[in-house]
Amino acid sequence: MQNSDQQAYDRGTTIFSPDGRLYQVEYAREAVKQGSPVVGVRGEDSVVLASHVPRRSPLVNPGSVEKLFAVDDHVAIGSAGHAADTRRLVDLARRRAQDEHVRYGEAATVEALTTSVADHLQEYTQTGGARPYGTALLVGGYDDGPQLFEIDPSGATREWRADAVGRGASDAITHFEDEYAAPLAAGDALGLALQGLDAAVEDLSVDDVEVGVVTADGYEPVAEDRLDAAFDADGE
Amino acid sequence: MRVASYLTPMVNTHQSKPEQAQEPRQGWPPIHEANPSALDAVPAPDEEGVVKTGTTVVGLTTADGVVLAADRRASLGGRLVTNKRTQKVEQLHPTAAAGLSGAVGHIQQFVRLLQAEARLYENRRSEELTMTALSTLAGNVLRSAPLQVTPLLGGVDEDGGHVFSLDGGGGVLSDTYAAGGSGMQIAYGVLEQQYDDALSAKEGRAVAAQAIDSASERDTASGNGLTVATITSEGVAFDEFDGVSEVA
Repeated sequence: MQNSDQQAYDRGTTIFSPDGRLYQVEYAREAVKQGSPVVGVRGEDSVVLASHVPRRSPLVNPGSVEKLFAVDDHVAIGSAGHAADTRRLVDLARRRAQDEHVRYGEAATVEALTTSVADHLQEYTQTGGARPYGTALLVGGYDDGPQLFEIDPSGATREWRADAVGRGASDAITHFEDEYAAPLAAGDALGLALQGLDAAVEDLSVDDVEVGVVTADGYEPVAEDRLDAAFDADGE
Repeated sequence: MRVASYLTPMVNTHQSKPEQAQEPRQGWPPIHEANPSALDAVPAPDEEGVVKTGTTVVGLTTADGVVLAADRRASLGGRLVTNKRTQKVEQLHPTAAAGLSGAVGHIQQFVRLLQAEARLYENRRSEELTMTALSTLAGNVLRSAPLQVTPLLGGVDEDGGHVFSLDGGGGVLSDTYAAGGSGMQIAYGVLEQQYDDALSAKEGRAVAAQAIDSASERDTASGNGLTVATITSEGVAFDEFDGVSEVA
């Protein structure tokens, strides 16, 4: 699988390889690629997060698999990768969001919250005995306008107009690169997000999709009937 | 002088394992317990210079929910009015509020903490704190910090309307009606005569306003009109009045 030179540098997260790579962080990105995908699209007055929630078995209770998480009134997170790692990070984000309310009496901006969570991921790329988080996050929120950020296992953050992480993410991003045209009304952003997810997932079914929208009014999961209508409109 | 902080320390270096020094690996502490050592460092306040509400607050359950009311005066020792539009009833979550008396700074911090804990709970569990959970949480906050706050909690959950009176030591007592603050004895005189557990929301507002008004007449630390919060399963509605005659 790998040569002995590489093996010398992929044991710990804190050791660079001679060509400047952190193999454990790169492996964490591979773990993300194996996770079911989540996409995000920023419209003119909303940001949409849409996730594929595959059912491994008909015995799994559908409501028990969560892929999108409310973090504060105006922020939500979607993720791809290790679900348990995600749960830890989501709780961190929720606590940091409320810490901000206590400290300043104001909601954290989406960027500040993203950076705060990303700082935590970064610590795990520089700490002996720890492993990086095997998850990438899409942070969707609304302060003065809609915002969409990605956090990857290295702790790097980027702001996106439309983005995807997880299995098939590159197909979704290719679709967004071809089709994204601002300004996108809320319904158009939802439609584009579903198209992106459809590009990433083979035989996407409306039953296996979880979608949420953040607007100036806050975060709301998208109800089933609206999702059905959006699916029909896209002819999927 | 160290400044009290309830926040999670955010400082970390790569020399120690992340978060381990400050936070246990299993289970996160509530926000108010994240840094308990800071609570010991609160200095004894300079009583002369601390603005207190003095205050009369009342809470009562009605057929539809709960009414909380308070006067609007803040004062130095009850002798000098420092503010005539003090908000002493604060919403804690969609169907709960607190009527507050004590030192203004302590009240404001207490409210910020409980609002943050309530939002955190809602985001984590997709449901609101029940009134028993909220009152227990508030009691724990008061017990773990030397806060000069004596709140009344009022709210509606699946079991209906609830009023709790709390004390600075963390005591939590459930009741159908209660009064607090420097004018509480006068307010209780009115409540004992006029409270009835079959009051409608409108009648409950009138009784609560009468209790605040009587206390405002005779307690020098209470006055300057009143705030009335009407709580139902739909939410919390706030009304401000300059005098009891305006309350409808």
